[in-house]
Amino acid sequence: MKFPLLKTLCVLWLVAIGLLALTAPILTSADPYEQISSTMQTPTDHPPLGTDALGRDFFARLTYGTRLSLSIPMLSTLLTILFGTILSLTAIAVGGLVDRIILALTNAALAIPGLLLAMLLVAGFGPGLPTVVIAVGLGGIPGFVRLSRSIFLGIKEMGYIDAAYALGASRIRVAFAHILPNSAPQLLSLATTHFAWAFMGATTLTFLGLSGDPSFPEWGAMLNSGRMHLIQSPRLTVIPGILISLTIFSVHYLGENYTEK
Amino acid sequence: MVPKSHRRTALLAVIRRLLEGVWTAWAAVTLAFFALRIASGDPVASLLSQGLASPEQAEEIRISLGLNAPLWLQYLRFLANLLQGDLGSSLYTHRSVSQIILEQFPSTFVLAVTGLIAAVLFGFILGITAAWLRKRTSGMIAAAIAALATSIPVAFAGILSLLIVGHLLQEIGSSSELLIRLILPALVLGFASSGPIARVIHSGLSESLRSPFILAARARGIRRDVRLLWHALRPSLPPAISLVALEAAFLFTGTVVTETVFSRPGLGRLLVKSILDGDYPIALGLVALAAIFYTISHVIADLLTFIIDPRLRRVE
Repeated sequence: MKFPLLKTLCVLWLVAIGLLALTAPILTSADPYEQISSTMQTPTDHPPLGTDALGRDFFARLTYGTRLSLSIPMLSTLLTILFGTILSLTAIAVGGLVDRIILALTNAALAIPGLLLAMLLVAGFGPGLPTVVIAVGLGGIPGFVRLSRSIFLGIKEMGYIDAAYALGASRIRVAFAHILPNSAPQLLSLATTHFAWAFMGATTLTFLGLSGDPSFPEWGAMLNSGRMHLIQSPRLTVIPGILISLTIFSVHYLGENYTEK
Repeated sequence: MVPKSHRRTALLAVIRRLLEGVWTAWAAVTLAFFALRIASGDPVASLLSQGLASPEQAEEIRISLGLNAPLWLQYLRFLANLLQGDLGSSLYTHRSVSQIILEQFPSTFVLAVTGLIAAVLFGFILGITAAWLRKRTSGMIAAAIAALATSIPVAFAGILSLLIVGHLLQEIGSSSELLIRLILPALVLGFASSGPIARVIHSGLSESLRSPFILAARARGIRRDVRLLWHALRPSLPPAISLVALEAAFLFTGTVVTETVFSRPGLGRLLVKSILDGDYPIALGLVALAAIFYTISHVIADLLTFIIDPRLRRVE
């Protein structure tokens, strides 16, 4: 079942929030941290979406929030990809005992759900934004290693890998010049779905208040702080919630349908 | 009649799986211990920074908790105590962690079980509808709802449900404690966890509906609903069952959020509170227990699929 239109919509949405993050200072002149008027103002011409419980410009917090909400899982994903790929590529390229050890460690680590592992790391480092980045990044490694290892394994069984070895290529050369480039499309798809996971994880941690300072404009934290005023002004929670859901859906959908053009 | 030698290899496979489970649980607990302790540095630092203990008192706490010993010795003590069901004591209240966890356990257990039932119901209904009516709008809607279930964060689903039900209750002019405290959180938790189950059922059913044995069943004049719900559904049950067992353990992550949204007491809120307080023995105890619980449910799932799927019993 294919919906070409849905794919376009997903791309458009991601481009839109990407632009929102880049042009935040142009779109709004308000400071997302500063109290500008009385609290809980309903949407007017100015500020366009009213103010939150602390009298801050809600639109400014949403647009600046795009920056934090996107960059936290992006950094985490980069961390996961870097360490995850090193581990799984080493496992596949070296093989034998090394592969078995890495696989066993991964399976053991997978016994702790990724998000729980992230929470445990926050417990260790102490709450804070950098902590959330590192915790989500490290927490995603076991799952990423398992999936990327099976991708590399599929490539390793190709005839041209045997041919490369037969021509005298070293293991490092085969790993970096053959296995890694040839698995790029599948890795990209994996990285995309992993970003959706990291996004969900990061907003969950910030929602739970594990990012420390609640004044940061970030969608998950806004979802949490708006919750106290759900009945009077539902927009304070519903809008960030919709933004989060749409973003996760788009990234997930694109990641899964990347290979089948 | 299964030949004797086959029975023995099957028994060996089961024993092997059990041993694997013990190993995984041990390794996961070990990982949790070192991940936390290496990340935290000095666990008493949070007490010091909050002014809850003077440096002398902190030193006393360190000695009483055995934190002066080298890390590997602390680890061995932790492991030995864990085997006896002792998870240490809270840094703040000095109460036994096992005791605190036991107190909060029933609340989370009830929520998780109800949530799991809801997840299985939602997952099967969505998956079967999507596969059965794949050419009709209702089938596509079911597939879309299953996709949404994986994209909407549990927190937001919970908030939305509170908002909607809150309005509805206001209209009717009544309030139901049971609805808000248990049924609604369980439905939200179940909905959020139903996506993967629906997916497995959907793809499994679609695949077996294209298989020759369904055509054969049709040729034998078996009714369409029986064909679908008995013949076609059976092969997709083993993966669904192992998935449900995995979800049973992963549900704990969901309860953390659900309990927070619905202000329900339980292990999830205990975990969040212990993380924010820096009360590391509670956090470590909870994660260690979650890992053990996950391993047990994983082993049970494997044994169950072993029983259900005769193909797995034909060991070479």
